[in-house]
Amino acid sequence: MLKIDHMTVAYKNVPTVLDFSMDMKPGQIIALVGESGSGKTTVIRAAMGLLPAAGKVTEGDIVFDGKSLLSYGPEQWRTFRGREISMIFQDSGAMMNPTRRVGSVFVEYLRTHEKISKKEAWKKGAAMLERMRLPDGDHVMRSYPFQLSGGMRQRVGIAMGMTYQPRLLLADEPTSALDVTTQAQIVRQMMELREDYHTGIIIVTHNIGVAAYMADHIIVMRNGRIEDQGDREQILHGSRNEYTRKLIASVPSVGGEWLEH
Amino acid sequence: MSTEELILEAKHIVKTFPAEGGKSLMANNDINLKFYRGRTLGLVGESGCGKSTFMRLLVALERPDRGDIIFQGESLSGLRGEKLRQSRRHIQMVFQDPNTSFNPKMRIRDIVCEPLMNYGKIKSGEKDKICSSLLKMVELPEEFMDRYPHSLSGGQRQRVAIARALALKPEVLILDEATSALDVSVQKTVIQLLGRLQKELNLAIGFICHDIALVASISDDVAVMYLGNLVEVIPGIKLGTEAQHPYTKALMGSLFDIHMDFHKKIESLKGDVPSPLDVPEGCPFQERCVHCMETCRKVRPALQNVSEDHQVACHLYQNIKKACP
Repeated sequence: MLKIDHMTVAYKNVPTVLDFSMDMKPGQIIALVGESGSGKTTVIRAAMGLLPAAGKVTEGDIVFDGKSLLSYGPEQWRTFRGREISMIFQDSGAMMNPTRRVGSVFVEYLRTHEKISKKEAWKKGAAMLERMRLPDGDHVMRSYPFQLSGGMRQRVGIAMGMTYQPRLLLADEPTSALDVTTQAQIVRQMMELREDYHTGIIIVTHNIGVAAYMADHIIVMRNGRIEDQGDREQILHGSRNEYTRKLIASVPSVGGEWLEH
Repeated sequence: MSTEELILEAKHIVKTFPAEGGKSLMANNDINLKFYRGRTLGLVGESGCGKSTFMRLLVALERPDRGDIIFQGESLSGLRGEKLRQSRRHIQMVFQDPNTSFNPKMRIRDIVCEPLMNYGKIKSGEKDKICSSLLKMVELPEEFMDRYPHSLSGGQRQRVAIARALALKPEVLILDEATSALDVSVQKTVIQLLGRLQKELNLAIGFICHDIALVASISDDVAVMYLGNLVEVIPGIKLGTEAQHPYTKALMGSLFDIHMDFHKKIESLKGDVPSPLDVPEGCPFQERCVHCMETCRKVRPALQNVSEDHQVACHLYQNIKKACP
């Protein structure tokens, strides 16, 4: 479905991601893990066509269903995003305009993607929110982002992203700002997206536990390069890579003899 | 536990903040906790449960409405002016974000030595010598004293923050999410440093953190808070296996641990934490608890001893033993 082929991304000619390749099948969940500055967010921003102005894919290609995304113009991106691919951020509240109600943002989003009346769009938005387990969708639509809890805001982000049932969901640290019990709710909900809609997910996270729980395939990044990759078992217990082993040993674990390592 | 020296004690701490419409926000409701020399007390709970407020009360950045904070047998709540200022030397704090807790225009030398200068402990001429030994203590090169905070990495800045907090040789060190912004490998080295310093200086440490796995692995005792109330106090090593309060169990069940059973579905509590503006009568956890009984809606459960070092506030365990005073 999505193929990234020997991609190099540079900011102002300084390469941040080097020679990155991955091949993703529909319905697969891939996790990108690594420490700050390892380039994991840059990878998914490139796939979404959302690199900052100074950033550019200088080598390689990103291919979705056989078509290169790099040749897309603004119009093509607009129909592509939302319908085929969508993204949720660390704090979905921060991506919304704080002076506008959720409903107003959601209605605008729907009306850029399809020709429907404001009334219909409102109904569709409220229904979508309720499908993402937000009780009383109308109430959420009438709220401002700051009136919702972090978990609720994240569900709003997921509801918007999932409206057109895209085949690929990109999630950039979707649970990092949440408390543990809310994090568990959101992780469960993302897993259900795959069960219900066969959505493929690329999750960027520094939480190795979340990555291991969700992903079929884990990619460990370091200094812009793929340092190691494999399934959960390989990464957690069978890695021959020294960096991966050190990273895993640094993760605190309940009842583990963490400091002795 | 009784063999260790009690250094700091919070007794029946109540703290509310005024809120709109004449309501009041219950941040801490009757908190009793003890800090011992050479031991770490971890404080966990979700955002807004009052853990940071409690630690701020300990360092006298806030004043309790009721209750008392006793340091080495002396009450701190009544202190004012110079006496209060002098008492602050004994309990120092490290914050989450050194970017905002350091003055960006000060050099590391001045940052680290500022507390000592404030208390007139050293003269300006001695700064170099003192700073160099403090930096050495936190395993940083002494050349760093001429640098500014922005030229250090996150982990290095937290080491500087620790050096500053320890400059006055406090008995108690409070860390509020002090390692939460760091990458895991850096976090580990900072934690190892803290462990070494604790042994060397016989420090009592209060450690607030939302990473329960981290708290469990480094704390002698862990206090679990929910909606301003203490719901369980348990030794860190028992947290994973012997937790009894339904909330503690739910927290543990929602952890993504690298050693968990990945074939089991992750448990999660329903709903969100209720607003601290209208804390329900009875048990604070009643709305989300699967075991909620009739008494839970009426009577707030008190902390009771399960064993000598383990207390829980839950009606399910009401009849086990009578609580110690």
